[in-house]
Amino acid sequence: MNKFTKIVFKKEMMDTFRDKKTIFSSIIIPIIIFPLIAFVIGLGSSDMVKESKEPVQIALLSEENNELEMFLKSNNNVNIIKTKDYRKSLDKLDVKVVVKIGEDFDEKIKNGEKPEISLIYDDTSQKSEMAKSRIEQIILSYTNHIVVRRLENEGINPQILEPVDIKSSSVSKEGGTGLLLFSMLLPFMLTVWSAVGGIPAATDLGAGEKERQTLEPLLTTKANRMSILMGKYFTVVLAGIIATIASLIGFLIATKINPEFLGESATLSIKSIVIITLVCLEMALAFSSIELAISFYARNFKEAQTYLSPVSILLMVPAYLTMFVDGRAVPEYYFHIPIINTIGIIKEVIVSVYDFKHILITTGWNLVYIALFLIVTVKMFEKETVIFRN
Amino acid sequence: MIEVNSLSKHFKDVVAVDNISFKVEEGKVFGLLGENGAGKTTTLRMLATMLKPTTGTANIGGYDLIQEPADVRGEIGILFGGETGLYDRLSARENIEYFGLLNGMTKEDINIQIEKLSHSLEMKDYVERRVGKFSKGMKQKVALARSIVHNPSIMFFDEPTSGLDVTAVRIVHKFIKELKSEGKTIIFSSHSMNEVEKLCDEVGIIHKGKMIEVSTLEGLKEKFKEENLEEIFISLVGEKNE
Repeated sequence: MNKFTKIVFKKEMMDTFRDKKTIFSSIIIPIIIFPLIAFVIGLGSSDMVKESKEPVQIALLSEENNELEMFLKSNNNVNIIKTKDYRKSLDKLDVKVVVKIGEDFDEKIKNGEKPEISLIYDDTSQKSEMAKSRIEQIILSYTNHIVVRRLENEGINPQILEPVDIKSSSVSKEGGTGLLLFSMLLPFMLTVWSAVGGIPAATDLGAGEKERQTLEPLLTTKANRMSILMGKYFTVVLAGIIATIASLIGFLIATKINPEFLGESATLSIKSIVIITLVCLEMALAFSSIELAISFYARNFKEAQTYLSPVSILLMVPAYLTMFVDGRAVPEYYFHIPIINTIGIIKEVIVSVYDFKHILITTGWNLVYIALFLIVTVKMFEKETVIFRN
Repeated sequence: MIEVNSLSKHFKDVVAVDNISFKVEEGKVFGLLGENGAGKTTTLRMLATMLKPTTGTANIGGYDLIQEPADVRGEIGILFGGETGLYDRLSARENIEYFGLLNGMTKEDINIQIEKLSHSLEMKDYVERRVGKFSKGMKQKVALARSIVHNPSIMFFDEPTSGLDVTAVRIVHKFIKELKSEGKTIIFSSHSMNEVEKLCDEVGIIHKGKMIEVSTLEGLKEKFKEENLEEIFISLVGEKNE
């Protein structure tokens, strides 16, 4: 970094981080967004988890005493509520499901006929739907009991119903479902933040400078245009990196608030962190220059914001497209597509796949974009029609 | 000294400045007088190396505008527009220091200059405060200090009093007079006859990109047999408009 670039960089860093708007959008928002999501998800899911651990509240409609009624009454997972108007109770969710046992239930069971059980529930309510599934399982355990009894009466081993023994186990070293979520959200978040994290700074350093009318005196100092531009460029890059780190901190806080957000065992090795840092830095280097170029092209702050907002939307598309790509099977051609290649690398290292050929291809392409975008930015900054557009 | 030779600037089909030449002796104040859009700002932007001339060149403080733009920049200080152009989140000192550093000064020299300038511009009380909440007059003083911190021998002022109140205008006028007494060479653009009459030794009247008259104030008055500069200007520009 030459002397003038250092002076510009130092001043811009100080100026940028004295700006409440930039601190809010580059540090505070990325830090609070994930804990907020985790908290809201946690609130919703903990309510459902609580519900699933409590006995299912049912209303029972039965003409006479029967074996199933006894079975349900004795089951600790069932709470039978007495109600005069079961439909009203179901509406209010005082009962989650109504179990209607058909006539002559025991008699029909004894004779090998099929007595009817109706489950009345509200399919617009998640709680009622969940209760219906739980009560189905409970009734199924009762019917299994009858099947076993019938087979034994016929002298048949009930084991006949289970011709194979299915045992499942995951080969994943760590993680499980948590890791799956982790590998979906983390690449998306890191890629987006490292690319767009510098936008607030870029807006202020280009269009903001024009609007304040500080660009003209700046261009008549001894510092040449390249040094000024580089000082500003490194500031935008660093702002992008700080925003990415802030979002990572937010991510960690989110996992503390609600461990089920990502799974407790989702961790990253040092090797993974180094590779992720490398590709994210490449993203920040590439996008910062293009953001700065757009900002310098804009006549004022507002215009820069209008031009820069599609950049975020542009990034969301590949990020969403690759959301469900498996880290163990990222197609080879993905590593030749901008943005998607960076997401691909992060997805791989999360599931401990370290393919250096992929890293090399991605880094190679990213270096091409960085060089290309920088050339465009330098050309733009040297163009009188861009700098003095207003 | 400033010597402008056949300077032109074209923006696509528009000729903003058309083959102008003039000379400003050392220690003199040259007033560039013209209507809005006459080409004053474009001329000053070219002289300040911000815009590349389409044709022609200038010698500024002994350096060629085209061949040695970096050296030219070391010799000049600028104040463009009535709006001050400062960084609101930096203190007055930080604003001035930034431009001093970018002009190759050491921190020690900058501190000596800030001390001197904050005394002469009476801004000692607020030099350490952030400029965001300053009044227009206070900001104007900081901008003046910023433009002169590196002690340039040549100053360019482009309509430095437009949009300012009476107090701020007086600050600028006083400052320009002080610079003149220190022997600095100044080009001052304005569309106010009164201002030009008050401050300038020589006047160049620019109209539709062309320099239509260059003379001392006395020379103009004698040539047009008219004491009122405004009348002279109208008769010159009016003639060209017809």
